[in-house]
Parts: sequence; structure tokens; C-alpha cells
Amino acid sequence: MAGKYVHQSILRLEDPELITGNVQFLDDIELPGMLHAAFKRSDYAHARIKSIDVSEARKLPGVIGVYTAEDFGDYIKPGPLQVPPPTAIKGATYVARTTMPIAKDKVRFAGEPVAIVIAESRYIAEDACDLIYVDYEPLEAVVDLEKALQPGSPLVHEDLPSNEAGHVRQERGSWEQAVKEADLVIKRKFFINRNAGAAMENRGIIVQWDKHAKQMTIWCGTQSVIALRNQTAARLGLFESQVRVITPNTGGGFGPKINTSLPDDVLITYLAMKLDRPIKWFEDRRENFLATTSERDQVHYCELAVKRDGTIVGLKDFFYHNTGAYNPYMMTVPLNTQTHTVTNYRVPNFLTEFYVVFTNQMIVTPVRGAGRQYGVFVMERMLDAAARELGMSPVEIRRKNLLPANAYPYYTSIIGQDFVEGVLDSGDYPTSFQKTLELIEYDKFVNEVQPKLRAQGKKVGIGVACFSEGTGVGPYEGARVTVGGNGKVVVTTGYTSQGQAHYTTFAQIVADQLGVDVKDVKVITGDTGYFGWGAGTFASRGITVAGTATHLAAQKVRQKALKLASKILEAPEEELELADGVVRVADIPSKFISLGDLATLANPMRGTMEPGTEPGLEAVAYYGPPYGATGAGAVGLIVEVDPETMQVSLEKMAFVHDCGTPVNPMVVDGQIHGGIQMGIGDAFYEELIYDENGQLVTASFMDYLFPQATDMPKKLVLGHMETPSPLNPLGIKGVGEAGAIPIPSVFTQAVENALQETGVEFDRDTLSPSRIFTYVQQAKGA
Amino acid sequence: MKLEGEHVFNGPREAVWEMFYDPEVLASALPGTQKLEMVAENEYEGAMNVRIGPVSGSFTGKLVISDVVEPESCTLTVDGRGTPGFAKGVGRVQFIDQGDGTTLMKYEGEMNIGGALASVGQRMIDSVAKTMIRQAFEVLDKALEARLAAKASGSEVVDFKPPSETEFAAAVAKDMAGGLTKIPEVRLLMYIIPLVAVLVLLAVLFRGCSG
Repeated sequence: MAGKYVHQSILRLEDPELITGNVQFLDDIELPGMLHAAFKRSDYAHARIKSIDVSEARKLPGVIGVYTAEDFGDYIKPGPLQVPPPTAIKGATYVARTTMPIAKDKVRFAGEPVAIVIAESRYIAEDACDLIYVDYEPLEAVVDLEKALQPGSPLVHEDLPSNEAGHVRQERGSWEQAVKEADLVIKRKFFINRNAGAAMENRGIIVQWDKHAKQMTIWCGTQSVIALRNQTAARLGLFESQVRVITPNTGGGFGPKINTSLPDDVLITYLAMKLDRPIKWFEDRRENFLATTSERDQVHYCELAVKRDGTIVGLKDFFYHNTGAYNPYMMTVPLNTQTHTVTNYRVPNFLTEFYVVFTNQMIVTPVRGAGRQYGVFVMERMLDAAARELGMSPVEIRRKNLLPANAYPYYTSIIGQDFVEGVLDSGDYPTSFQKTLELIEYDKFVNEVQPKLRAQGKKVGIGVACFSEGTGVGPYEGARVTVGGNGKVVVTTGYTSQGQAHYTTFAQIVADQLGVDVKDVKVITGDTGYFGWGAGTFASRGITVAGTATHLAAQKVRQKALKLASKILEAPEEELELADGVVRVADIPSKFISLGDLATLANPMRGTMEPGTEPGLEAVAYYGPPYGATGAGAVGLIVEVDPETMQVSLEKMAFVHDCGTPVNPMVVDGQIHGGIQMGIGDAFYEELIYDENGQLVTASFMDYLFPQATDMPKKLVLGHMETPSPLNPLGIKGVGEAGAIPIPSVFTQAVENALQETGVEFDRDTLSPSRIFTYVQQAKGA
Repeated sequence: MKLEGEHVFNGPREAVWEMFYDPEVLASALPGTQKLEMVAENEYEGAMNVRIGPVSGSFTGKLVISDVVEPESCTLTVDGRGTPGFAKGVGRVQFIDQGDGTTLMKYEGEMNIGGALASVGQRMIDSVAKTMIRQAFEVLDKALEARLAAKASGSEVVDFKPPSETEFAAAVAKDMAGGLTKIPEVRLLMYIIPLVAVLVLLAVLFRGCSG
């Protein structure tokens, strides 16, 4: 659905200010009398706190206060669940042990706060932390996922019988039947690593309490202003209207910033009120690695039942999922893994089962991809294994099993993170796969290029993988569209932005409805003072859910404008059009009224108003889909592996995606590019490594490697497909995580292909030069 | 984490064991030690400055010595904590008479490290440890050589100078030793501290290699 602006690659409206440095980020905010906070964090992953001595720290000049759990009394309790439990799934079991704002009696991960210092400066606050003495009784740490569930394992939560945090089993068809029908059952085990969100801007918060107005203002780079406001108000006994949460410009979210009721917001809001001074806390990078939530760690035991000709009869996937020390985010990540395991292919029988496990590690909550890529990884790896065992090509086995273009809507029988059955609303997987093969020139590479290069001794390989991305899930988002007396339009939404170009794309949607210049549409996101309803920025749902709400609100305003203009211009509504900032009679362009004048007239100051009329050229709308819109695509990759160093060079990547109607194709490309880079990090660089005592040994960018611009593919070709989603009027599907999802799958396949003569097979999603070397040595039997 | 290592000293076992009783020589093997106190029978507390890349700060350590079989072996338990994190370990040190006038020193143990020392210092500690271990053994080899030479010539004075890289270390050792060196328990401790430090560093080294 193309319009004057929708479906056009207009330049991002927010960029001029960003590029010229004329925007405010959180750490730019300085308030008069502002104090600074620092946390004393546990060096132990698992220990009992015998005593905490803060007397020396309190004596340090400039220290305002040093507080431990004891000082907060009853205020300290486990936070609320951020995501509801999976009660919609039959037979699912769970326990909830949510985040402690400050450790009481026991620390459960290295980095958990045990005390908070408030001081005149951050320097003093950190120095004071060094003067706090904590007497610990170290306990054995729970680190290994599988051992954690064995009897006799130390317990992360000693009030529970085991470290099991939950269990879900879902089945469609019958796995038992699949085994009977199959010619071959292929078994594999896979390891999924742990990654950080690693946003360029770390987390932070500033809290100001106005004791006269009884009003709290919080500046925070959160992904959900609404959750932060509501949970803060409830905790402090305030009305939601007494707490205003504002997100300034934010340097990336990637998932972890969705969390609320964390030590910083719980403690600093309380202390800002108590001390009657504004307080700022800004995380440093080591804290970000240690104490901002990260994602996953899964171990999969997988079985694929196939016929000799490569037809899939069934899949069984049993996995353990690490949730870390607490589980405030319940099962979003492993449920995403479950729903994304079989979405691209026809798998008549599917059994999927997981256990969620508590460990003495950082809490696990979504990071871009949010478990989807592991479902995809498992399936793609199993197809590679099947191709290998059946002597088929990776292309042939995929083509044979892809869902056909006429399969939609396709009901998966598997309940996902939004607690409804996953439904593939639209798509055309065979075409996107075919397009990918063409763009990567698969046949030419395999038949001509590769043999030639191999003859020269070069280790070159190719891979191709499919993916889907469940996006735009409920519950809902809302928006208000208001035309001002100046003729310009303001859009406000409770959604928050971390760089996704909402200021441009939402404006494009509104400009098309109201016939104004897109530059005359101002978008305000992430400020509860402007709009107080919504859920938050997650699951690639901004443009799909908040964008649709914006569209619906703009439509309502359009109706209002037409109705009022019809009276003023004495012409029927059908003969009117909105264009160039005016409402005019289509056939008599000189007969018009500007939107600004109309807005002024829509708010009469004297006289009477017709019953049923609402003032202003303003409307609010909400949108909540019955289930999420599923984007999809495929990726092809050509790599060259240096046989000496095992460094992998990405020679060419072809990425075909389908996100329905792209509101701004250029912005979509940007999302894909960023996602791919994150996927490359996942496949080859990024890994949070905990040692056997639960110590994170990669807590700096020196040890936690990050892909550089130079690590992007030398040649990157994007292919676009548009199968509009029937779920919303604009036909949109989300695209925020797409790029990141299939990269580990295609990377492992391509590197395996490059090293084909060694017979190497990878069973984990993150490789590195030394890992590849080790695999090759093992394959050689060395 | 398990750790082990060994070093051959070019001298008889008794001389090696005895050498470890000379705090000046032995403490010179490791800079940064600030103070040392006996708090109970076979239980000591000491303080050391640690600086590894961006990780620095003072470390307070508690050390327990047990199973002392002179001149053959002993067990060391160390529990150090400070702003850079913590280190906790148990190590067994053995001196084996090789019958050819040389002594094989073997150590094995188990070590846990936490805090910034583990999360940020891990990479730097690797090279720091390599240097320190090499230097420590260089110092000890030379010290032993000097002691044996003095013994052979019947001299009372041991003509030993630590290499220039460790001059700082020696100065620190002297400051640290002060009046304490006359107390036998402290003398024993003097060799234990560097050994423990070496053990700690070896532990990290091993971790680096196996990761």
C-alpha cells in the first residue's frame, strides 16, 4: 500500500539533529543539587552475606548515605513479574523468583548489588564502595545447566526443591508416529551461547522528586516508560499521574532495557524522595556486562525423523534453558525458541519440550532475536545434518520441505510468547528462498567458482538458510494525533524509541492520512506526560502495533476534519480532499480551509456545540492484533576460511526478507544491516563466558569481542519481498530482529562447506578461529 | 580450577628449604607486599598491592600453613580479598631430592578467583603472571647459587644481589620485613607469600591456556 510518503525511502527526520550533536542523551542531563549513586556489587556468584560493614564508607567526606537491604526495611522485596506466566499452555509448570533490588542474606550472581552509595559525585560514591566490607560465606556456584537439575546440586533458591524454574512440553501430531514412519532418525546435540545486548549507551536513570507538587520525574533510557511508571507508582504508593517517565534520546536498547523493577529504579526512586535531592546513576561498561540482563545459554537434544528422499516426518527438540539467578521475564525466550523451530518447513509431527533452570549467573531476558534464532539454528542445523547423512544438497532438502506459498494462514499448534497459538499470517517462503539462491548465485558458485578456487587451495564455502520472525505481538499500543492551530501535527505514543526511526515512519503514516508535509508532523515517544498507555518496545512491534494505532488515530482525525470542513465549505465530504495542509473541494481547489484554521474552529470558544461532537482535530486510537505478524526470509553466504589462522572472511551475503509493506524501505534496510552485524557477532565474536565458579570472565570489550564495520560481508545484497499482512490495514510486519536471526545458521553451514574435506561438523552457534581449529583437529582425529 | 607446576633448583633439598627461610631473598621474588602479621599459630594476615592492567587495589590475605614436613612439603591455604576481587586457594608444595644434587619443587592446588580480577583482569593477568613467574624463579635460582657459593667458601656473607628488574621488589621486601625477620614463623611465611602469589598467578595462567 503505497502513498505519498508510506513506502517511500525519505531521509530520517531525526538525523540532522543527531548528526549535528543537538540532542540530549541521559548523561547530558544535569540538575541543580544532583547527587550520584554507585553500587557495591558482589564479587561472588553464590555466597551468604554474614555481615556488611559500611561504617568506613559513611565517614568519607562527600558521602550522603550508604544503604544496605537492612536500611530499606519492608520496601525491599522481589519485584513484580515483567511478563505473565505461561498459564495458557496446558501442563506448563513454573515457579517465579523475581529480581531482588538489593541482596538480602544471600547473593545469587557475581555483580548483584549488596549496597548503594549516594554521594556528591560519582568519584566519591565509587571510592566509598571500596570502603564497604562484606563478610561472605562462599557457596558452591550453580553454573552447568544440566548438572543444575541433578539431585545434590547446590540450590540457587534454597526454598525450592530444585533449580528447575519451569517446564513446558508442546506437541503437534505425534512424535511417536513420526519415528514409526521415518526411514531414518538423526540425532544431534547443540550448544547455544550467551550474548549481551551491548548497547552503545549503557543503562542509567535520573530521578527528581518535587515535594511541593508531589510529583516525581524520571529520566531513563528504558524501552518501556509505561511499565517503569506503573511499577514505580505502585511501589511508592503514588498515582500513575504523579510519576512522569521521560526517555531522552537513547543509544540503543536491543532488549535488556525493557526491564523494570531493577535495583537502580527501585532504590533510586526511593532515595530521591527520602533525601529530597535529584539522584543520577549511570552504569559503566563493566557493570553493564555483569549486571544488565543478557540472553540465554541453551543445550538442545534434537532428533529429526526423515524419509530417504529427505521429506521431514517429524522433529523432536528437548532443551534446557538458562534463566540465570532470577526469572522476572518468565518464558519469553524459550517460548520464542519453541515457536521458531519449525515455522519455515512442513513438519507434520513436532514435539518440543524444555526445562528452565536457575543458575548463579546474570538474569536472562530477551536480546534482539530473543530466542528465535536458536529455534531457527536447531532446525537449520538438523537439515544440514540430514542432508549430510542422506547425501543431498542443503538446497535440495530445504526446497523439499519449505511451506508452500498457499499455506497461509498456517496454524502451528504451538503457543508462543503472546500466549496464543502461533499463526503464520502470510508469506511466500519458496519464492524468498529461490530469490536468495539467485542473488548469491548458488549454482554458479558450487559448479564453477568453488572448484576453481579450491584448485588454488582456497577454502571457500557457501551456505543458505531460512528464517522466520514472529513480530508485532499484542497486547496493544496507542497513539494520539492532534492538529495544532499552526497547521502542524503532533503524534504522541507511549511507545519508546532507541533509534528505530519512529520519528520518521510514524510521521509518514500520519502525513499520508492528513495530507500534510511529513516535516510538519512531530512525533513524541517515550514520555508518559504526553501519553500514558502502552506496553513497550519489544518483539519488533513498533511499526506494526504502535504504527497501526497511529494510522487509526490519523484516520479518525481525517474523518473529523472532513466532517467539519464539509460544513464550513458547504460541500459534501465525498467531494473533499486533504492535501498540501488544507481541506479543499477536489474540483475547486480555490475553495479550501487550512488544517490550522480548521483546528482552531474545532475548538470553539463561545456559542454552542452540536451534541456528540468532540472538540479539536484530535483523536486517540488503540490497536492490538489477535496474534503477531510473521516476517520471514532467507540468507545466503559465501565465506573464505584462512587455513592457517581459521579467520573467516565474509565474501558475499544475500539477504532476502519479507516484512509486508515497508513504511520506509531505507529504514528497513538499516534494520536488516544492523541485525546482520549483530548476527555476525553472535556467530563469530560475542560470547559471555562464565567460569566454573560463576565468574564472568569477559566483562570488557577487550574480552567480549564485537564485530567491527570491517567484519561485515564484503558484498551485501538485500532482496525485498512484500506479502502484506492481513492483520493490519497497512499490511505491515516487523523487521527489527530479522537480520540477526539466521546468521549463526548460515555461518556454520558456510564454514563447514569451506572445510568440507575435513568432515568437520559444528554443534554450537558461536564459533571463533580457535574453536574452528579445535573442531577441525577433532574431526581429523588429532 | 586445578593448577600445577614445577621448577628444578640447582642445589640440595636442605639448601633449598633453608633458602626459603631468608625473607629478603624470597620476598624479592614478588613486589607489592605491604605488611604481614601472625594472628595465630600457623595463621597469618598480610596485605599486598595488586596492579594488573586496569585492575588495582590492595589485597588483604589470610594464610594458613599446615602439614609442614621439613624439608619435604607443606600445604598452604590462602584466602585473599580486596577491592580488585578475591582469590581463594589451596596448594601443596613438595621438594623432591633428585639424588643428583638438584631439587625438584612441585606444586599443585586448586584456585578460585573472583571480582574485577576475574572479569576484567583476566586477559592482562596472563602476561603479568608469565613475567612474574619467570622473574621469581630467576631470583630464586640466583639466590640459591649465591648461598651455595657462600657455603662452599665458608663465608658468612651471602653475596647475592637480585637482578635490576626486581630492585623495587627487594626494597619492598626490606620495608616489609623490617623487624619481623627475626621471628621464625615470619621467616617461614616469607617464602610462603611469594609461593602463594605464584600459585595464584599460575592458576590464572592455566585458566588462560585452557579457555
